[in-house]
Amino acid sequence: MNRHRVCRADEVASNAMKPVAMGRATILLTRLPSGEIKAVGSRCPHQGANLEYGCLTGHAHSDQPNVLLMDRPGQILRCPWHGFEFDLCSGESVADQGKLRLRRFDVEIENGDVFIVM
Amino acid sequence: MLLIDADVHESFAGIRDLIPYLKEPYREWIERGAWRGFSQPFAYTSPGSGNRADVRNADGSASVSDYGVMRRQLLDTYNQTYAVLTGYFYPTMLKLQYGLSSALASAYNDFVAEHWLAKDKRFIGSIQINARDPEAAAYEIDRMAAHPQIKQVMLPVVDDIAYGHPMYRPIFAAAERHALVIALHHTILAEGPFGMGLHYIERHTLLPTSMMAEVISLILNGVFDGYPSLRFIILEGGFSWLPHLMWRMDREYRQGRVEVPWVKKLPSQHMRERLRFSTQPAEDLTADQWLKLIDLMGSDEYLIFSTDYPHFDFDDPRVSIPRSLPDALQEKIFWKNGAWLYGLEAPAQ
Repeated sequence: MNRHRVCRADEVASNAMKPVAMGRATILLTRLPSGEIKAVGSRCPHQGANLEYGCLTGHAHSDQPNVLLMDRPGQILRCPWHGFEFDLCSGESVADQGKLRLRRFDVEIENGDVFIVM
Repeated sequence: MLLIDADVHESFAGIRDLIPYLKEPYREWIERGAWRGFSQPFAYTSPGSGNRADVRNADGSASVSDYGVMRRQLLDTYNQTYAVLTGYFYPTMLKLQYGLSSALASAYNDFVAEHWLAKDKRFIGSIQINARDPEAAAYEIDRMAAHPQIKQVMLPVVDDIAYGHPMYRPIFAAAERHALVIALHHTILAEGPFGMGLHYIERHTLLPTSMMAEVISLILNGVFDGYPSLRFIILEGGFSWLPHLMWRMDREYRQGRVEVPWVKKLPSQHMRERLRFSTQPAEDLTADQWLKLIDLMGSDEYLIFSTDYPHFDFDDPRVSIPRSLPDALQEKIFWKNGAWLYGLEAPAQ
């Protein structure tokens, strides 16, 4: 298992996707409202849009037509092209679980630095 | 082979047949000719003026109201196991006077129970309602649901109702309460997105688009999610458009779910689990085209045979479904899929 230092933890903000280089690939980092940092692949599994320009939002839910509720703020990433929703915690497509999934990477924080574990 | 015919249009000889079943004041209204029934806003161009030209009484007059004619021409000729009566008198077409409309629905249901259902155990009945008054419609469903041959509620497709609107929920609640199927069928008011066009052939070709609109409305407004045991059938609305609608709605859902999060599944999953289609008009597909289409649909459980008797675009069960299709598939189309939808078993021999 390899660890790669990619940036300092205080460079990773909430409500933003921070691109970092991993060899020839790019990984995106974001900070959840809980403070936890998540790392995902930079390309949407649907048609390859650059998720750096995606929208960080919450989980829209409801059991009653015409009543819109939102929970889990900052935990859903929407693709900048088609708006497909991905759960940053599981990587799963919200609308189509098991079919489309973000590539996720394990993150470790040590002495204020962010490491990607592969 | 066992055979369910999912779309058979019984009728009355005239609106006055309903007088004995109408409550006042509407009985008096019809008795004095205050309303003479619906009239289509176009001319039929077929030889039988909307019906098969050979559907005639002994005296040669046109008949869509004679059980004996139907028994001879349909039930016995094709050895039908069950025929689902769907009517073509849909009080929802009245756009005002809801009390009259609801009373007409009740009267028609009682007329059908006495003059059709009671005459042949092969008939499966449908409840007619005035959908514009959903509470009254629910009351009528509750009233008729105990009839042992009733298995279905008719939702008529008109030109101004998409049934996903929340105001229609009492209808679905009542149907689910009694484990009845919801059947959507066009009416003489049904049209396409830009109206009926300039010719009857335009309007008739457009009818599937009204069915697509109803499916879109029902699923995206939460009817499938809100009534999870309810089953639906599209009658006489085509079926070869299903793959397109599944793909389109799934794509729309993946990118737009945030607007309708009360929809909990991919639309195609809802369709696969609880939406079915009658086959007529079967569009004269070849056997190879049938197989390709069913492959694109992803299931051989969607289709249920129907004749549309006595209408002019009738499908003969011996011809309209190619006999070269695999036996197991034919058995599903002619029997198993319909038996599942309506909860029917083969009659005891």
